[in-house]
Amino acid sequence: MEYCFITLRSLTAAQTAEGILRRKGIYCVLQRSPRWMEEQGCGNGLRVDCDDISEALQLLRSNRIAYKRAYLRHNDGNMEAMEL
Amino acid sequence: MIYLDNGATSLYKPASVEKAMIRALRNCANPGRGGYAAADRAAREVYNCRCIAGKMFDCQPEQVIFTKNCTEGLNIAIRTLVKPGNRVVISGFEHNAVTRPLYALNAKISIAGRKLFDADDTIDAFENVLKTGADVAIFTHCSNVFGYILPVAEIASLCKKYNVPFIIDAAQSAGILPISLKELGADFIAMPGHKGLLGPQGTGILLCGRTPEALLQGGTGSLSALQEMPDFLPDRGEAGTLNVPGIAGLGAGMSYVLHCGIDEIRMEESQAAKLCGISLRKMGFRVFMGEDQIGTVSFVPACDCEEAAQYLAKNGIAVRAGLHCAPLAHESAGTLSTGTVRLSFGAERAKYNAQAVKNIIEKLAKVL
Repeated sequence: MEYCFITLRSLTAAQTAEGILRRKGIYCVLQRSPRWMEEQGCGNGLRVDCDDISEALQLLRSNRIAYKRAYLRHNDGNMEAMEL
Repeated sequence: MIYLDNGATSLYKPASVEKAMIRALRNCANPGRGGYAAADRAAREVYNCRCIAGKMFDCQPEQVIFTKNCTEGLNIAIRTLVKPGNRVVISGFEHNAVTRPLYALNAKISIAGRKLFDADDTIDAFENVLKTGADVAIFTHCSNVFGYILPVAEIASLCKKYNVPFIIDAAQSAGILPISLKELGADFIAMPGHKGLLGPQGTGILLCGRTPEALLQGGTGSLSALQEMPDFLPDRGEAGTLNVPGIAGLGAGMSYVLHCGIDEIRMEESQAAKLCGISLRKMGFRVFMGEDQIGTVSFVPACDCEEAAQYLAKNGIAVRAGLHCAPLAHESAGTLSTGTVRLSFGAERAKYNAQAVKNIIEKLAKVL
């Protein structure tokens, strides 16, 4: 299944981002980031439908939520960083 | 028992506080430490409380650091801003939670404003020190001994005018008076969770206008591969496992305060304290009262203040006597040698109807 994943700098930032997206009708799920995404260890992010990723990132930027990166998970399970 | 020691801690909490704490105890694991449901529930409890605090104190959830009491928050704030030997201006009504850390840092302390219930004197005194140079200003919002509400907005404006960072001690005002981190522009505002916010003991909040130094180092559930503490809020100020049941209870307490209305709570408490103060004056005691006063009133009894408090306790009235951990405030008011007996009312709304206050006064008159 294809989806996107946005990493944030803290659990609290991820929770704030989750609230912003959900209030705008963008479904997302807060999850711990895969270990390989977090070079400095332990982080959190939001799983978002790929159809919503542009709007989601725009919303976070407009609300001054500093996300770190966004990733695309392909149907085959591979993930890659998205060009932002 | 008539409980009049809310300045130390609120004793009677809303039922929702107990329920929230039990719910958290039963259902919550460690926030930010796992991806399973119980850890997620804990994270949501904590975040919910941050949001309620954000609403009450006009700040972002990330600016809310949970501490174990007001003193811890003040220590974090003071040790962030004050370096050994710095010049620090404080009011004449500070608690030991402010003065002891400053003493430990060997700060050069200037005391500004020692006249009770005299806002103009307080403002002038702060300006006189600030304009001659200070590295940091620290002031309480309300005196824990006398209930004097200091003109914090005006002092905050002066600090900004003279570019001096500042800390506000909201130990007695949180939940009683409106506080906006954004409007005051404070570097830090520290408060307990267990007094006016009606949370359990062992909880407190530090509102951060800037990122603090980490007083403690340890696990945060973030950036775990690094040996330095994270440089972002709130993680930098929250090393180790949070008091999730306490925080859940604090969230419920703050919700109750917001539901009742901060202004309404303050008016009822102040009115009850005022009526008691007037009656104590009529009984011939020296009572400290003024225009800008929360629901806390101090008086000097005819006998030793501790003996008077003991006598009141035996007759079912719980008050606090002595120096109230604020010798500076007593020195300012001229009561260092005698101490005072303090009556501090709380947010027990139904208990302060006219008849209830009359009963308290009658009892005071009978036993004093």
